[in-house]
Amino acid sequence: MPADVDPDDYEDVWVFIEQHDGEVAKVSWELLAEGRKLADKKGERLVALLMGDDVDEIAEEAIVRGADHVLVADDPVFEPYRAGPYGAQFAALVEERNPDIALIGGTHTGRDFAGRVAVPTYAGLTADCTELEIEEDSHLLLAKRPTFGGDAMATIKCTTNRPQMATVRAGVFDPAERDESREGEIEHVEVVVGGEDDAFTRIIERVVSDVVDITDAEIVVAGGYGTEGNFSVIEELADALGGEVAATREAVEEGWAEPARQVGQTGKTVRPRLYIAAGISGAIQHLEGMNDSETVIAINSDENAPIFENADYGIVGDLFEVLPALAEKVREAKGEEVASDD
Amino acid sequence: MTREWNIVVCVKQVPDADDVSIDPETGTLNRSDAAAVLNKPDYNAIESALTLKEQVGGTVTAVTMGPPFAVAVLETAVALGADDGVLLTDRAFGGSDTWPTSLALAAIAEELEADVVICGEESTDSSTGQVPPGIAAHNGWAQLTYVEELEPAPEDEELIATRDIEGGHERIAASLPVVVAMEFGANQPRVAGLHRKIYAETDFEPEEYSASDLGIEDKVGLANSPTSVGGMDTADPVPRKKEMVEDADDLFEALEEEGLV
Repeated sequence: MPADVDPDDYEDVWVFIEQHDGEVAKVSWELLAEGRKLADKKGERLVALLMGDDVDEIAEEAIVRGADHVLVADDPVFEPYRAGPYGAQFAALVEERNPDIALIGGTHTGRDFAGRVAVPTYAGLTADCTELEIEEDSHLLLAKRPTFGGDAMATIKCTTNRPQMATVRAGVFDPAERDESREGEIEHVEVVVGGEDDAFTRIIERVVSDVVDITDAEIVVAGGYGTEGNFSVIEELADALGGEVAATREAVEEGWAEPARQVGQTGKTVRPRLYIAAGISGAIQHLEGMNDSETVIAINSDENAPIFENADYGIVGDLFEVLPALAEKVREAKGEEVASDD
Repeated sequence: MTREWNIVVCVKQVPDADDVSIDPETGTLNRSDAAAVLNKPDYNAIESALTLKEQVGGTVTAVTMGPPFAVAVLETAVALGADDGVLLTDRAFGGSDTWPTSLALAAIAEELEADVVICGEESTDSSTGQVPPGIAAHNGWAQLTYVEELEPAPEDEELIATRDIEGGHERIAASLPVVVAMEFGANQPRVAGLHRKIYAETDFEPEEYSASDLGIEDKVGLANSPTSVGGMDTADPVPRKKEMVEDADDLFEALEEEGLV
């Protein structure tokens, strides 16, 4: 028995609201929607936890998006983000208030500090979940996650320890809708982080640019190793279709596309209406990030590429011929549309 | 004069992801015959450990937890240039989830008086990425994850990292001791030299530790793991039309029919 806990002493569903410099990570709203369902099922409160410097507006938004109660730890030590202060504050609140479930976005930030909460509190932590459920009789959290490249889903349970913690992949749930009429309580909690001494680290420089969020795109044109580094045809088609460019891990590692555009198990999960995979063999790692796409088109010169088994339409052919031809057709059609509108 | 650093690199033996294939009939994974190899992201960890040693001096010790045959990944690390290897092996470790696994690695890091512990970003088999922050949390040390580049600052007893953050990067300085998780693909791992390879395979013997050697026999293994696997389902393949078309014209027509253009 790992820890001497009585599960009855633990209640409420907590959702961590990730924000950087006042910008909320979208996964936080996705988790509020999912957390609301879990809390309703258990008949408990949905509590949002927020850390930052001067973040009351975000606390109010968390209520509008479904939280019953918001815990705010407001202090300059929380901006910019660092694992030490975040972990220490979160762990202290867990020990004081005994949440039953705690959900954190599976972002670099969430995956960076979740262990600093789970280790000192001896909580069960499941990484990178894609489905969450409450078990009927036990009311235990069933945290499901893809294993080994995504061919199987493992259901992870935490029967003896509390809280049941999970980091959850961004982009797999719909964000919570706003309801201005919702009411809730905002509580400012005591900041337990003892200033810089507890921080272990200091940020020298932080550079954040406007990086595109491919998880929101309706149309995605993705390139893989078969592009041989020539992404211009991918960009051209994406441009014609009004979509976003994405890439496989290999293509990102080769430096052909930015890491923010990577689709797959270690990249982003996308759910566009149309996903075009060009020069992508279809490794399971990649399929996992694109499986939620509505319509998938594959273009590959290798007729045996596994991507064809996972596509609605496939062309065996040279992507450097097919993509420009398709882009041309799309532009023509759009040109006609504009013309007919006149 | 600054002092030299004890650098510990944590490595893991995993089934070879390249050997794993999808059965086109059933849509499930074939990995029964996959060989056990060094977790790919750990090559980046070893490379940065060796580079760090070249910059500040000191030793690189590779550590793994696993059955006796996991010594193979220590041999790989030693062949690449690690000075020594430590095998944490004990039936008591069996079934450990990330909490006890990171405890065991934290304990050996303390035992070896590590200044820097370097890990790969995550393992290719379970891909939780939780072990490096877990080690840091158990020991109350600093941590640096998703690291693209390391710059040692031995005069300040600090390690500076450039790390990937959402939408950009940051430069961050951590006081020693510190746990690092290198981003997969962050560097170009070196190739093992022949002499080193022969040494690793013939003369190298790892130091072995059991759970009780580390004083953690009551805190590891399945019984002390907060999480457990409650079931496995085959992920159903997403149903697709799998319609083959001839050229861009046909494809465009199909897209029009679907109302996608």
